[in-house]
Amino acid sequence: MTEAVIALKDVSLTLGDGPSRVHVLKEVTLEVAQGEATGIVGPSGSGKSTLLMVIAGLERVDSGTVRIAGEALEGKSEDQVAAFRGRTIGIVFQSFHLIPNMTALENVAVPLELAGRPDAFAAAERELAAVGLQDRLTHYPGELSGGEQQRVAIARALAPEPKILIADEPTGNLDQATGRQIADLLFSKARERGMTLVLVTHDAALAERCPRQVAMRSGRIEAAAPQLRAVPA
Amino acid sequence: MTLWRTLRLAIRFSLREMRGGLSGFAIFIACIALGVAAIGGVNSVARSIEDGVAGEGQVLLGADLRFELNQREAEPAEHRFLAGLGMLAESASMRSMARLEDGSDQTLVEVKAVDAAYPLYGALTTQPALPSDELLGRRGAAWGAVAPDLLFERLGLAPGARIRLGNTVLELRARLVEEPDAVSEGFGFAPRLLVSLDALRDAGLVQPGSMVEFAYKIRLPQGAGEAELAAIRERAASAFPQAGWSIRSRTNAAPALSSNIERFSQFLTLVGLTALVVGGVGVANAVRAYLDGKRAVIATFKSLGASGGFVFAVYLVQIVMIAAVGIAAGLAIGALMPFAAGAALSSVIPVPATGGVYPEALGLAALFGLMVTLVFALLPLGRARDVPATALFREAGFESRGLPRLVYVATSLGLAGALALLAIAVADERRIAVIFVGATIVSFIVLRIVGWLVQQAARRSPRVSSTALRLAIGNIHRPGALTPSVVLSLGLGLTLLVTLALIDGNLRRQIAGSLPERAPNFFFVDIQGSEVDAFSALIAREAPAGELMRVPMLRGRVTALNGVDVQKISVPPEGAWVLRGDRGITYADRLPENATLAAGRWWPEDYRGEPLVSFSAEEAGELGLALGDTVTVNVLGRDITARIANLRQVEWESMGINFVMVFSPNAFAGAPHAWLATLTDRGAGPGEESRVLNAVTRAFPAVTTVRVKDALDVVNRLVGQLGTAIRAAASVALVASVLVLAGALAAGNRARIHDAVVLKTLGATRRTLMAAFSLEYLLIGLATALFALLAGGVAAWFVVAHVMRLSSSFMPEVAVATILGALAFTVGIGLVGTWRVLGHKAAPVLRNL
Repeated sequence: MTEAVIALKDVSLTLGDGPSRVHVLKEVTLEVAQGEATGIVGPSGSGKSTLLMVIAGLERVDSGTVRIAGEALEGKSEDQVAAFRGRTIGIVFQSFHLIPNMTALENVAVPLELAGRPDAFAAAERELAAVGLQDRLTHYPGELSGGEQQRVAIARALAPEPKILIADEPTGNLDQATGRQIADLLFSKARERGMTLVLVTHDAALAERCPRQVAMRSGRIEAAAPQLRAVPA
Repeated sequence: MTLWRTLRLAIRFSLREMRGGLSGFAIFIACIALGVAAIGGVNSVARSIEDGVAGEGQVLLGADLRFELNQREAEPAEHRFLAGLGMLAESASMRSMARLEDGSDQTLVEVKAVDAAYPLYGALTTQPALPSDELLGRRGAAWGAVAPDLLFERLGLAPGARIRLGNTVLELRARLVEEPDAVSEGFGFAPRLLVSLDALRDAGLVQPGSMVEFAYKIRLPQGAGEAELAAIRERAASAFPQAGWSIRSRTNAAPALSSNIERFSQFLTLVGLTALVVGGVGVANAVRAYLDGKRAVIATFKSLGASGGFVFAVYLVQIVMIAAVGIAAGLAIGALMPFAAGAALSSVIPVPATGGVYPEALGLAALFGLMVTLVFALLPLGRARDVPATALFREAGFESRGLPRLVYVATSLGLAGALALLAIAVADERRIAVIFVGATIVSFIVLRIVGWLVQQAARRSPRVSSTALRLAIGNIHRPGALTPSVVLSLGLGLTLLVTLALIDGNLRRQIAGSLPERAPNFFFVDIQGSEVDAFSALIAREAPAGELMRVPMLRGRVTALNGVDVQKISVPPEGAWVLRGDRGITYADRLPENATLAAGRWWPEDYRGEPLVSFSAEEAGELGLALGDTVTVNVLGRDITARIANLRQVEWESMGINFVMVFSPNAFAGAPHAWLATLTDRGAGPGEESRVLNAVTRAFPAVTTVRVKDALDVVNRLVGQLGTAIRAAASVALVASVLVLAGALAAGNRARIHDAVVLKTLGATRRTLMAAFSLEYLLIGLATALFALLAGGVAAWFVVAHVMRLSSSFMPEVAVATILGALAFTVGIGLVGTWRVLGHKAAPVLRNL
């Protein structure tokens, strides 16, 4: 077995202070192998999105260890984690989060420019072509449909060629048909490039497309398919 | 990433980010533009006037060098020396009475008598234009004279009419349009009357001890440089050490005007800086609102690998670029001001403003603008740096609270300190700049505390049954409430308003109210010793109920203190006037009735020892003089040194006869002098006053009579003009404050649309909401107005009592007017925006909830 590209061990996380303090993750242990596609499901407030944030290095854990692509995130500064994320992890959001004052091409180029790639725009153009938006390069997000915006977001996540692609409800803001197209795109691109895909969804149909599913409830991993090695605490 | 690459990328991202336009930055840009325009414009105008003074020095002075003597003409040796320097023009100036030929009316005039050489530089403009000898020469029994429209109006005359001056008859042959060297003659109290020196002699006004000033103006041969001017001054001083003349050169043609311009421009610079600092609150509000709207973008940048520092750089570049727009607009307005001022000020300041662009003045304004922007933008920018990328996953928690990282707080404070130091460094009167900076800092801190206290009071207030009041109180203390920024902007503006209103009111009250009750009705100047008894008898006849006070009057200049030349002594500004120019001095064998001894003893009535002097206690303190010190004064070309025997408390504001120095009678034994008298007659109405004035002028044509009411009118008019100028200047700061307030309320209204829509869907009526919003503005306005009254009251008291040294009183009518005005204004401006809020359609907002 190859080394897990995502390795969380006994991860706990508490958010808020005083009466609003919530124990969001409780001793979660999870390993995901390179190239694996994993769907995380569970009711609202179960800790799914927080788990994604931990994987993306956006949230620091209170206890436990987090290793992503072989690197421990503990001990890295915020800016080091940001640079690491830029190289290693692509993120697709439910609300797309494109930058409204930048064109589709510029949006896709942002992570490449931040990484100092001299060919940022050429690479961004290739990515947009790969998601079928070669005719929309100079359009602003406001001029694109929801589905097109999510395609731009996927191109942006793919552009730095990260090892891991994480997606938070990627079809949540789209109609059923568009959602299906976006899911197809996401899975096919991840497969083509051998990327590890972790997605959070309420959509059972989408989750079922993942070979592996992790169910969360009240901050714990509750159940996993037999082939998974997630260990409920 | 290297720093250069980071910066280049940040600039690229900033430019992309700004494609959305600058619509949210209108207030920001307006605030910065206003402050920069005020500072840049005022300093440019001041420079252009200074350039005008410097460039036109010869014309304004009427000479290359001007020697002034008081109460005496130049001795033959002095005259030979002066005539040997170049072309010489002589003139004499004094105040006197011009009266109608039949003696039925009279008015005070500023007489200027000139010779045929006048003017050495520039041109005298009259209407009609006539050659000098036709204007001023003798024709039959009458000498020619020229006067401005004002004199014709006062006496109801037309050109060609005849008037009497002293013992002679003048024919007013033309209207005076422009007197080229008017500015170097000092402040004109009354209309000018231009005559020839021969006419003045013929009038018999120049008597021993008369208050007349002789000026000897020299036109040097072409090409005489500054070194030559300085050499002549030195030669004059060494050849005639006792002359007591004051010498001015073309480079210092109008020292009083120059220093007034400098002082006023400094005041206006501080006002401009206040506008900028008040505008800074608007900058902070705009930056915060903008960055709050950008939190998703910032979080996105971070999720894509951007560092916090990069995010900070992107938005810092944007803010600086936006500030640059405001600065550029301000500079454009500021640069145009000298051109506009040239036309507008020509009637007020008798100096051509040359126009032109003054890079140094504009650069200073731009620097102030940039620094204010950074001081106020750094904290919200620092907060933006720490927007977490997790905000993209959790929609809640978008509001930023608390202080940003220490480095941003420290940098912001450091820049604020640098701003304060710069404001002090560029000021000529550092003390005032320090007070201004201190007051601004204290105001900021105190207003922050006031805002916090208002919110705390609202938070702790008991639960009220009125829905509107409950909503209003809730709005005052909820997170993101308008309270702090409204209290700050309105508080600064109102405090300034109250301060100026109270200073203005106090000044007017001093001049128009309490003073005339104690002040005499008339001053009589230049009463000859031989006339004193006859004069007293006349007054006793014409004003039997009046009280006449008379004292000997000489003019003298302090030349040394304790044997040290006053040119070499540095004294604090408040006492410097005593050493500047000529002072009226007197002698007395008894302590004046309106003074009390503060230290030392008065000399005996038949005192014969070394000359003694009684000095005003306050001025002695300012000059560092004590009992036993010596004071040397030059009177009529003779130095007299006297020892300080005692110090007196002088009530300057009584407007009676007061002198800084009263000498023992033996100090001026034999010196020719005239007398000064005052007449106080409480019951005298305008009719009686006119009769006395007319009787004195008929019987004693050489005596100059100044009616105190007329003098006060002149001063009142000046104070009025000054007050208008100050209010106009202060309005710049008030406009900034209004802009900030409007911006804060507009920002608040965006949040309010949400509240109003939700409350309306829950059944709240428009009336309830309107009442709630009105009450909120009312409560905040009231708290702020109370603070402004207190702070403005203290500031005005400080200025009136300590800077102007007048009695200060709080004026309740000003207080009430300010409170009402502030409340009407806050509620009004708040409700204008709220009305739109209430009319907002619910559906679009609800869809986005």
